[in-house]
Amino acid sequence: MNPNTLLPNIATLRRRDLLKIGAAASAGAMVAVPAWAQGAPIKLGALLPLTGAGGPYGGPMAKAAKGVIDEVNAAGGVNGRKIELVIEDDQTSPEAAVRAARKLIDVDKVAAVMGTWASAVTTAVAPLCWESKTFQTTTSGADSITLLPHQGYLIRTQPNTTLQGQKFGAYAVELRAKKVFFITPQTPFVKTQLEGITAALKKVGGTVGSLVYDDKRPSYRSEVEELLRFGPDAVILGGYTPDTTVLLKDMFRAGFKGQKLGFGYSINQKLIEGVPADVVEGSYTISPSPAEGSQAYAKAAKLSGMANPDPYTAQMYDQVNLVILALAAGGGDMNGTTIKNSVRSISQGAGHQKVDNAVEGLKLLAAKKTIDYDGASGPCDFTDIGDIVDCKFRYEQVKAGKIAMLRIA
Amino acid sequence: MLQALLQAIVGGLMTGSQLALPAIGFTAIFAVLRYPSFAVAAYMTVGAFAAVFANTHFGAGVAVCALVAAVAAGVVGVATEHTVLSPLRPAGALTVAIGSIALNLVLENVVRFFFGNDMRGFDMPILPDMRVAGLRVGAQQLQNLALAVVVMAAVFVFLRFSRFGRAMRAVADNGDLARLKGIDPKLISAFAIALGAALAGIGGALLGMDTSIDPLTGYRVLLSVFAAAVLGGLGSIPGAVVGALVIGVAEEVSLLVVPTTYRGAIAFFAILVMLSFRPRGLLGERAT
Repeated sequence: MNPNTLLPNIATLRRRDLLKIGAAASAGAMVAVPAWAQGAPIKLGALLPLTGAGGPYGGPMAKAAKGVIDEVNAAGGVNGRKIELVIEDDQTSPEAAVRAARKLIDVDKVAAVMGTWASAVTTAVAPLCWESKTFQTTTSGADSITLLPHQGYLIRTQPNTTLQGQKFGAYAVELRAKKVFFITPQTPFVKTQLEGITAALKKVGGTVGSLVYDDKRPSYRSEVEELLRFGPDAVILGGYTPDTTVLLKDMFRAGFKGQKLGFGYSINQKLIEGVPADVVEGSYTISPSPAEGSQAYAKAAKLSGMANPDPYTAQMYDQVNLVILALAAGGGDMNGTTIKNSVRSISQGAGHQKVDNAVEGLKLLAAKKTIDYDGASGPCDFTDIGDIVDCKFRYEQVKAGKIAMLRIA
Repeated sequence: MLQALLQAIVGGLMTGSQLALPAIGFTAIFAVLRYPSFAVAAYMTVGAFAAVFANTHFGAGVAVCALVAAVAAGVVGVATEHTVLSPLRPAGALTVAIGSIALNLVLENVVRFFFGNDMRGFDMPILPDMRVAGLRVGAQQLQNLALAVVVMAAVFVFLRFSRFGRAMRAVADNGDLARLKGIDPKLISAFAIALGAALAGIGGALLGMDTSIDPLTGYRVLLSVFAAAVLGGLGSIPGAVVGALVIGVAEEVSLLVVPTTYRGAIAFFAILVMLSFRPRGLLGERAT
């Protein structure tokens, strides 16, 4: 066969076929597009610690998120559009989180990235979100996060450390302490917690002393010496279990008789088992608490399959609900900017009707009512920079080797 | 203010006495083998862990734990000296010293491999501090001080009056002459290491009884131990005791004016000052 004669034929054939195919496709596209635009799913992203240090929390958080979205889709979705959840593992590592966030934002084009857990992860992912106008919700507590220039594209459902410091100070005041000593290892939260404690003590004319210690020492005799010189009625311990163990022992040896307050994640069952009972007896602990006993908490329990969801699962439940309700209230393009502009209109507001789940909230929004979402982790009211205004805390005390709950307030 | 100063001095004497035994060990090794052994930190850690093991598994009391610590650390010291550090001897004291730093790291990590990083404590009651003339003194520290004094007295008697002790002092004074007199330097070296490591081990155990132990127990006080030995004069055992007490008091008193995080700087400062103005230390002999 003569290749010269063959080629023009193939080329012509190809061109003709191409033209035919092209015509058919564009005709088909013109027919199909209206149908897609009507029901195109809204994509939401969940960037969760499925592995790594936060591994225990990622699974239940994912389950809670899926549960909420399945319920909403079963009830018809948002304005007729289904919600599609894309879950990625951040491995509790900022590097892996950035790669996963890029995929969610650039490939899946999600309207929101929800559930980032570790503060380092959230800080790394935040610029990607606000630059691409993707909304971000997080359970991280570091104060610096909401101080980033996120232009409103970030909210968090976890109390920041200033709020936690205020709670500690207020409780010390409640225990009738006038002189409080804050003893803590070097963390990014020292300054903000101290400010919170000092503000609470100032209100009753009390004084606050503080000391930052090296958390790797086997003995804190000298530090306790300085503590005793201040003569406090109450000591607030800001460290973690290993250093708090040593500190409590040295405080016992030195005969400190005042009140001791610590974080729930530090003065926990493990610490109690590692020291003689006298050393830790009577210590108070404070931890951020989900809104246990509320209907929202019960719903979160049902959807996540946990009898007592941890704070992060409860927050994830709330974050998904908030994002869905904000999209519905904002309407229009249903993207990150929509959420940013509408989220506070559904999460707070005097006189609005209270709701604790998206299905009910969507019905009310469709009936042109104003709603105020109060969730499983607390009232979910946000400041301008995205911090929660308040939330519940668990107050507990160590009695006879066990942690006894005093109240949730 | 005076009260705070007195309290700091008392506290400093207590912590200084805890440094004394490892400092004696360090200086004894230097006297006989002529190199600064930074592996004493690991010997302290090994001793501390052996003591905790004896205490938690067999319910051993303070004295038995100290004995177990001494034996364990002594054995490890002799074994590693023979296999790791002796072969380096022909290359000079500096090489052996560097080798001892490496040995320290290896031993510390071997301990870490078997026991993990967590802090552990002795299964002993936590005694409240005693009050003497308005000053607080740790009850465990007093117990440790008594034991340390007994051990130091024993070491002193041994070195002064026993044949082995005299042989050690001979080798420390003049190695060649000692060899001419028929003293076997290898045996004496092994003995010096055993003694030095054992003392460091007891020191580690006592430190652990008062506080708690982890693989970094020895490493944390290594600088203070070294400073104590330098301050007192390398090679002088009474000097090591004096140096340890001075360092202890200096660290505690400095905390009245400087934040606790700067405690480590005191030892550095002491070494710097002493080596600049009186390199032989407080009680050391002039180099001939």
